[in-house]
Amino acid sequence: MGNKSSLLLREEEIAQIQEDTGFTPAQIERLYSRFTSLDRSDCGTLSREDFLRIPELAINPLCDRIVHSFFTDSNDDRVNFRQFMQVLARFRTIKPGKDNKLNSREEKLRFAFKMYDLDDDETISKDELLNILHMMVGANISQDQLLSIAERTILEADQSGIGKITFEDFCRVLERSDIEKKMSIRFLN
Amino acid sequence: MLAFMKENMMLSKKKNLIFMVLFNVLLLNCGYVQARPNATASFQGTGDNSKIQSLEPPNLNLPTGDASSSHINHEDSALPSIQHDHHMIKSVQHNDEHVAHGEHASEVGGHSVPERYPVTTVDFARVELPFIIGIWILFASIAKIGFHMTPKINKILPESSLLIVVGIVIGLILYTSTKLHVQPLTPNTFFFYMLPPIILDAGYFMPNRLFFDNIGTILLMAVVGTIYNVATIGGALYFCGMTGIFGVETPLLDTFLFSSLISAVDPVAVLAVFEEIHVNEILYIVVFGESLLNDAVTVVLYHMFETYNEMGASNIQLADVVNGALSFLCVALGGVAIGVIWGFLTGLVTRFTDHVRVIEPIFVFVMAYLAYLNAEIFHWSGILAITFCGITMKNYVEANISHKSHTTIKYALKMLSSSSETIIFIFLGVATVNNQHVWNTWFVLLTIVFCSVFRVIGVIMLVAIANRFRIHKLSNVDQFVMSYGGLRGAIAFALVLLIDPNHVPLAPLFVTTTICVIYFTVFLQGITIKPLVRILNVKRAEKRKPTMNERIHERFIDHMMAGMEDICGKTGNYTIRDKFKRFDNRFIRPYLIRDLKGAEPKIIETYSKLAMKDAIDYMRRNPSTIGQMTGTESMSALFRNYTSGALGGSPSFSNFESSTRNLDMQELDYNPSRKDLTDARIHHLLAEELKPYRRHRRLSYSRHTVDDRDLSTQVNYKMRMNIHRMAQGDRKHHKRSKRMNKDGSKQNHVSFPEFQQNGSAKQLANDYINEVLNEKHEEDSRQAQSDDWEGGLTFIAKSSRENGNAQDESKRYSRDSEGEANRVTTPTAPESILPWKREDDKEDCGVIQQTEFPSWANNKEYLAYNSPSATFLGGITKPKQKNSVIGLFRRESHGESDGGGIRDKRSGSIGGQVVYEIEPTGHSSQFPVTASHRRNTRKGSLLEVSGDTTIPEEILDATKLPKRGGGQPQQYIIAKTTPKNTRSRNNGSSSQQTRGLLSHSSDSEISDDGGVKEKLMKQQKSKLHFSVGSDDEDDEEEGLRMKRS
Repeated sequence: MGNKSSLLLREEEIAQIQEDTGFTPAQIERLYSRFTSLDRSDCGTLSREDFLRIPELAINPLCDRIVHSFFTDSNDDRVNFRQFMQVLARFRTIKPGKDNKLNSREEKLRFAFKMYDLDDDETISKDELLNILHMMVGANISQDQLLSIAERTILEADQSGIGKITFEDFCRVLERSDIEKKMSIRFLN
Repeated sequence: MLAFMKENMMLSKKKNLIFMVLFNVLLLNCGYVQARPNATASFQGTGDNSKIQSLEPPNLNLPTGDASSSHINHEDSALPSIQHDHHMIKSVQHNDEHVAHGEHASEVGGHSVPERYPVTTVDFARVELPFIIGIWILFASIAKIGFHMTPKINKILPESSLLIVVGIVIGLILYTSTKLHVQPLTPNTFFFYMLPPIILDAGYFMPNRLFFDNIGTILLMAVVGTIYNVATIGGALYFCGMTGIFGVETPLLDTFLFSSLISAVDPVAVLAVFEEIHVNEILYIVVFGESLLNDAVTVVLYHMFETYNEMGASNIQLADVVNGALSFLCVALGGVAIGVIWGFLTGLVTRFTDHVRVIEPIFVFVMAYLAYLNAEIFHWSGILAITFCGITMKNYVEANISHKSHTTIKYALKMLSSSSETIIFIFLGVATVNNQHVWNTWFVLLTIVFCSVFRVIGVIMLVAIANRFRIHKLSNVDQFVMSYGGLRGAIAFALVLLIDPNHVPLAPLFVTTTICVIYFTVFLQGITIKPLVRILNVKRAEKRKPTMNERIHERFIDHMMAGMEDICGKTGNYTIRDKFKRFDNRFIRPYLIRDLKGAEPKIIETYSKLAMKDAIDYMRRNPSTIGQMTGTESMSALFRNYTSGALGGSPSFSNFESSTRNLDMQELDYNPSRKDLTDARIHHLLAEELKPYRRHRRLSYSRHTVDDRDLSTQVNYKMRMNIHRMAQGDRKHHKRSKRMNKDGSKQNHVSFPEFQQNGSAKQLANDYINEVLNEKHEEDSRQAQSDDWEGGLTFIAKSSRENGNAQDESKRYSRDSEGEANRVTTPTAPESILPWKREDDKEDCGVIQQTEFPSWANNKEYLAYNSPSATFLGGITKPKQKNSVIGLFRRESHGESDGGGIRDKRSGSIGGQVVYEIEPTGHSSQFPVTASHRRNTRKGSLLEVSGDTTIPEEILDATKLPKRGGGQPQQYIIAKTTPKNTRSRNNGSSSQQTRGLLSHSSDSEISDDGGVKEKLMKQQKSKLHFSVGSDDEDDEEEGLRMKRS
């Protein structure tokens, strides 16, 4: 599989992706093999169904959002390898002194923020938060409780007084969290 | 530097002089008694002997009883056993000589001297052991106090080293004055009694996530690192020994036995030092985790070399070595397994403790201790067992036990572990002073050097390996702290004491060396690590509770990362944790946790905590909210608000659409007049002034049941719900106000209502007008600028309720409206809100009752007199106690038959009339008065619940008014008397009796006054009672439903 996939990936493509995302060629090849293994239809792109076929992901409470995050840039509901890598590049570990354009702290945070922000209005509204809470916390809890949690959360974060969480609010409330580490995956070489 | 330290020491000495003197006196006393085994022995003789003994002065040295057996007792006795060394043998012989005499004497005495009953006897020996233990603990603790009173010293020296110094001083005093060699720190004592609390504390409060995130590094350090240290230190010492530098022969096995015990980093010492330096959590967990987990390695290696030693080097076969390796797996995994099993068992047991809350903490302690002992049965790692027991049980136990139990566990654990730690260090000091030391400069020196050097090398090597797999790399500074934090401590000391000098002739040398190493690490490293950490700018830990946002977003990120790892096809930390959580939620938690709170208990928990904190903060900030608010606000403001609200200038007007959904609106056709408002206002102001805060005391005592008011597990939840309800008190009438309340509830729905009602509602809690007025007041105070009185008239008040920051008003409004809009857009919103709404439904059931309202509310008479001011003027002269108990009791039976019976004891216990479900609020007792009104307020506008109490009162007052010409308000009296009644009833220990209190108290008033209206009242009451009952039922159901869900 690995061999085959690396064959499919041309040198200049690798170089291009490396340029864009900062992955090393080895990582790119490894991820490409993963990409092709997910791509059951062998068309070089992934559909949502391809993602949902990953068993663990399918039971992830946020699975829809996670998958959706790959499709934000695609017009035709397919993800090609470049886009795939663009998304994953945000989860590279931050290396001090190197160019971290996609995996900076802010990029990581923005990625998370966008997963909340369904309607792309640059704010997390109560309903968006409530949706997420509902997915995560599940059905065992009463809706009003969730609602009050959501409200409490927004109130806590909302500094501008608009009743929503802006990206700035989002960054501020998480400034004490070690996002750089938390939102990093150690990609194997 | 040294001089300075000395000076400081002197200072501390001075400060501690008093207790040191006392300490010594008592210790000498103990030593004296113990030094005289005869005296002691005599008390342990047969009953016959002891009888005689009681006639004699205690230190008469009448040698009776079985002296030798008493000695054995002493040797075995846990805490302060005294090694009599050479004296010992002598004294035993001495005793033996005397035994015969003693028996003889006792016989003689028994026959010749008739027994007289003594006025008093001195019988120290009987309590000797526990007494001495107590003394040790007492003085160890006092020493601790002493340090913290000497600010200079405790900034420079870590507590552990100070305690050791004190121990040395005590040891010196005992040594010089008693010629005895006190050896209080026996291995058994240490391992069975002192170590477990410390480790349990560490395990129970272990940050699980952090621990398991770093488990790889920790294991690497603990297993590989420790083995490496044993090998290198042992090997190096052995080779040095071959050069003859030590002057004594150091056999290979002996050296390795020693190195196996000296290599392990000690959790007690690490905890003691690291707790003071507050390095960042990752560093802390790596060092501390290592010190915990290396126990398995230490245990195995120690026992292995011990056994080899006994077998003799020549007899060791390959099989023994293989067995050693296997036994490591056994010891480690077995210990962990035992711990986990006991942890689950604890969770299971606490699932069923909701009826015996008081004993919850003991399960945690005892079962964890049993896990420890259980592991020790098999010579498995008890430390691992108790650590993992704590780690495992924590999540389940905390979900089951009450908050108070949780607090109890927390403090008890902290107390036990910290006193254990203190005693351990003091005993270390005391044990230092003896005459068995074998000093070997080279051996000591080289051991210290090797320990330090190989620790540094080991850390650097292993961290290099670990960093390859870590996202969070350990920096050079981290590595330095890790190697510098490799402290040795009491475990090594206890182990070295266990070495049998018969097999290992070098044992005394090892003891001395161990002590030196411990002192070196605890003193030198312990003292310098703090400044070093500061100089090196090691990232410090920041202690804080997670905020709601952090909790939610981090959890969100966890899920996201798990998903990303899945997509990358990588099995990382997140995936594994996710899997475990899923498994846990599906297969473990349902069986171990009484009421499951959804898949993310932490989020809920954080929310509850924050809600509670908000409430408390609010209270703290505004100690007398109502008074101030009502007091500062001018009447004109009140009316201004009123009018502006009526004109509909409110931004929340948009909410009116949604409010049309509410059916209750049209039912309210009662509009208080301005006069009413003014009267109410005045009344409330006065009431606030006049009514002292009442402290709630519970007079009943029961050993086995604690008043559940704040003990129920759902504390937070229930409280939240209640407060929520309360905060939204009247929102039932309006969707709109509900929205607002939502908002409010999130903020500090907990406390607010309480406060609010506090001032204004106090006396008149139950009457409808007051309800409305209250709302009005609150509204005014809260949202000074705008509100729709229109709605409010009927029922807005609620909205503003929760938040104390009036300045946010406009903000909140916009938010509210937005929320409203959003809610509609949310797909789930309508349905989702339904259940929640049902909460209001219970209130809505009030809606139905509301229809009853006009029947009497429109009563001309009522309207004429219902003004609060009129009430207020109503019966000032009336003696407080006038409402006799008789009436109360009558009511009681009556009430019990009525629907009010569902109320449980809590409702009565606080004092007011209807204390509805305040129980969960921890602070309810602080504001007892207000509490009583919550329920009322909540329901106030509807009348349905409070109706039965208040209405009668109202009417009653009205009727009375003419009779009694002026004076204190009837209500006032009621408010005062009822609590008493309640309490007295509570006293009766059958708390259930208090149910129906609500109705009773009001009833009693009525009956006492014997007003003409009584009949009328009764009629109404019967109706109302019915409503109350149903309402309560609803509440109960609500609660149940919540629980189930």
